[in-house]
Amino acid sequence: MDRRREVLVGLVVVLGIAAGVFGSIWLKGGWRGGQTELRTAATSVGALVPGAVVKFRGVTVGSVEGIEVLPSGEAVMVEMRVLEELVIPQNAGVLLAPESVFGEWQAEIVDRAEFGLPPFLDYPEAGVLPGAALPDFSRLTASIDQIARNLTNISERFEIAFTDETAQNLKNMIDNMGVLSDGLAEIIAQQTERFEQLAEGVDESAQELGAAARAARISFEHFDSLLLGADAETMVADASASLRNLRELTEGIGGSLEDLRAAAQRADATFARVEGLVVALEAPDGSFGRLLGDPALADGAVEALAEFRGLLADIKENPGRYLTFSIF
Amino acid sequence: MSIRLQEVCKAFGPKQVLKGFSLEVRDGETLAIVGPSGSGKSVLLKHVAGLLRPDSGSILVDAYSVPDLGRKELIQLRRRIGYVFQFAALFDSMTVAENVGMGLRRMPGWDAQRIAARVAECLALVDLNGLADRYPAQLSGGQRKRAGLARAIAPSPKFLLYDEPTTGLDPVTTTVIDRLVLRMSDELGVTGLVVTHDMTSAYRVADRITLLHDGRARFTGTPDEVRTAGDEVLRGFVEGNPDLYFGSRRR
Amino acid sequence: MAELLLRPFAAIGNLTLAGLESMGRAWRMFSSAAVSMRSTDVWMPLLAAQMARVGVASVPIALFIATFTGIVMALQASYSLTGAIPSYFVGTLVGKTMILELGPVLTGLVLAGRVGANISAELGTMRVTEQVDALETLAYDPLAYLVVPRMLAGILMFPVVVLLAISIGIAAGWFTALQLLDMSSVEFVKGLRIYFAPWDVWFAVIKSLSFGAIVTGAGCYCGLQTEGGAEGVGRSTTRAVVAACMIILCLDAFWAAVLL
Repeated sequence: MDRRREVLVGLVVVLGIAAGVFGSIWLKGGWRGGQTELRTAATSVGALVPGAVVKFRGVTVGSVEGIEVLPSGEAVMVEMRVLEELVIPQNAGVLLAPESVFGEWQAEIVDRAEFGLPPFLDYPEAGVLPGAALPDFSRLTASIDQIARNLTNISERFEIAFTDETAQNLKNMIDNMGVLSDGLAEIIAQQTERFEQLAEGVDESAQELGAAARAARISFEHFDSLLLGADAETMVADASASLRNLRELTEGIGGSLEDLRAAAQRADATFARVEGLVVALEAPDGSFGRLLGDPALADGAVEALAEFRGLLADIKENPGRYLTFSIF
Repeated sequence: MSIRLQEVCKAFGPKQVLKGFSLEVRDGETLAIVGPSGSGKSVLLKHVAGLLRPDSGSILVDAYSVPDLGRKELIQLRRRIGYVFQFAALFDSMTVAENVGMGLRRMPGWDAQRIAARVAECLALVDLNGLADRYPAQLSGGQRKRAGLARAIAPSPKFLLYDEPTTGLDPVTTTVIDRLVLRMSDELGVTGLVVTHDMTSAYRVADRITLLHDGRARFTGTPDEVRTAGDEVLRGFVEGNPDLYFGSRRR
Repeated sequence: MAELLLRPFAAIGNLTLAGLESMGRAWRMFSSAAVSMRSTDVWMPLLAAQMARVGVASVPIALFIATFTGIVMALQASYSLTGAIPSYFVGTLVGKTMILELGPVLTGLVLAGRVGANISAELGTMRVTEQVDALETLAYDPLAYLVVPRMLAGILMFPVVVLLAISIGIAAGWFTALQLLDMSSVEFVKGLRIYFAPWDVWFAVIKSLSFGAIVTGAGCYCGLQTEGGAEGVGRSTTRAVVAACMIILCLDAFWAAVLL
């Protein structure tokens, strides 16, 4: 009787402890093999928190153990524990980015050759991988969307208004901008689709989310190279040339017709702004991340659009005024 | 060696129960403390066993000052004191035999065999041989009292304290219990302190009788002296005359 | 007039003093009980029986509660999480709440009723029928004989019961998610794991340790303080359960503030 009771107590205790221990291990994701410490330094860590997963080629290989700002205040040191047997590529960097649209951040060990875009921070200490944090997706896409819409509007209006050579030059620029905006629109459509898939596709695993994010990042890089590459140069050259033409044109208007001066001035101001935009795009460090990081630039685009609207309304009402210049 | 109480005072909140009670129980005798319900008889008994501490006064048992004893010494002393509770206070979850053996289990040198032998002996002494494996709930009131007595005498105490041993029993069972009390005194030579309000029982078992009245020992004497005493309060209590008993208090 | 003005203060003073007095008594009892733990020969043989009574016998009710809590959590979580939040959060919600809060606290409250009342009624009855005094006269220390094995059993067995309850609760939530919510095991487990930290389990264990001490301690204290027959036993049983429940909830908040 007494023996039976003791056995029962022992059984329940063992069961309870086993439930606690094995449950924890199972929830934690199985037995961990040998682990080793890995460190990375970045200028910022975004929304990364201790406990976040560390991934390598899409596979979870460890977790973030600690995050602390270096005493110098120049960088943040992220400590991670990863599988001991993990072979990290020569040119490895750590990319800190959201795993999905739900804001869970992760640290991903990447080959820096694949990801040229983010400014990896090379910390002068052996064994510390260069790290970089990506900007938040949602902010990025919202800004792109806004600018793309503005540019598309502008280009459409110009197609209606101008037919002659000067206008053609301008149209070239706008077409280039159109290419740019189409590219943007495409990316946005891609992103939107992916995000919708993410939000709806409940069957998608974490790896697929990661892959989607990765694809999105690569898309951004394409866009970035688009801005920096030959296409962009041509476009900017076109744009600059057409702007110069336009400026000469407006100066001419200013000398001849009194009542057109106000309209011309408006056009002048407008194009100055567009030029500002183009110059910003043309700047050597004008990566897309920087464009979006600069709210003044986005505001400039919006204002430019508003002034353009005024100008275009004027053109529609009095097309005669403007058409005379084309003969001139 | 004996039990000696001097000027024992005890209050529960505002209620002063003992107001300087003094008493001496001689070695080998059986003394009955009588008094109405609620007069503090059980409280007095608990002081002797060290279950309660007096507010003032001294209590000597076997020359030990009970209120001043440490835990270990108190345990030592309690092995020499058997306590028979009013309603037996048997442990419900144990059989009669286990109850009786309780006090022996922690005594050094007592193995299961020796305990079993002693339990059988004690149960025989109170005529409960056949009921060793029953549980308290299966016993009658008288049987329970006898089992309680057996439990108290099992460790062979020198002192036995009885708290209302016959209360609530029929006259026949009362006599049986009284005879047992006498037997303890005669056969085992224990010093007995019986608290009761049953005068018949007191006359039967006691060598001396003390009336506890208003927190003090009002009268102490042999049964014969009690019968012939002129004290009004004592006569009031013995005869069951409230006018006489309470009359004196009012005056 | 002055008397009338002073009365509320007197009442507050009385309440405070009474509270302090009972706290002092409890403190004295528990510190004495801690000292009584030295008498291992007294409580050791009783521990297994108490562990069976406090722990093993409580397993069915604890698991019953946990099962339904798990089911309800899963259903309500999926009801609440609509639109943008992915359904695997059902797993997260069930796991987190079961481990951190509902497992320990609900089990604690239920066992306050089951174990606390049981102990209080038992010790209360022993007190009013003088069995506690009888123990003393038989040279037993009632604290070592009655209080220590019960409290130790509570402290040792509560975490075990709670861990089992948590496991069953999560399993019930999982089963519900599969059967009623059209979720897949993969999703539910992903949700479970995504925010899991081993510290959560320690948190639950620490909480349930303290709840075990509180429930059995309140039962012992109220039981031994019983006065006045069957009615007194009823009163002290009620007091034990109410006190245990209140302290559990306060302690729950305290641990959450201190440990999380």
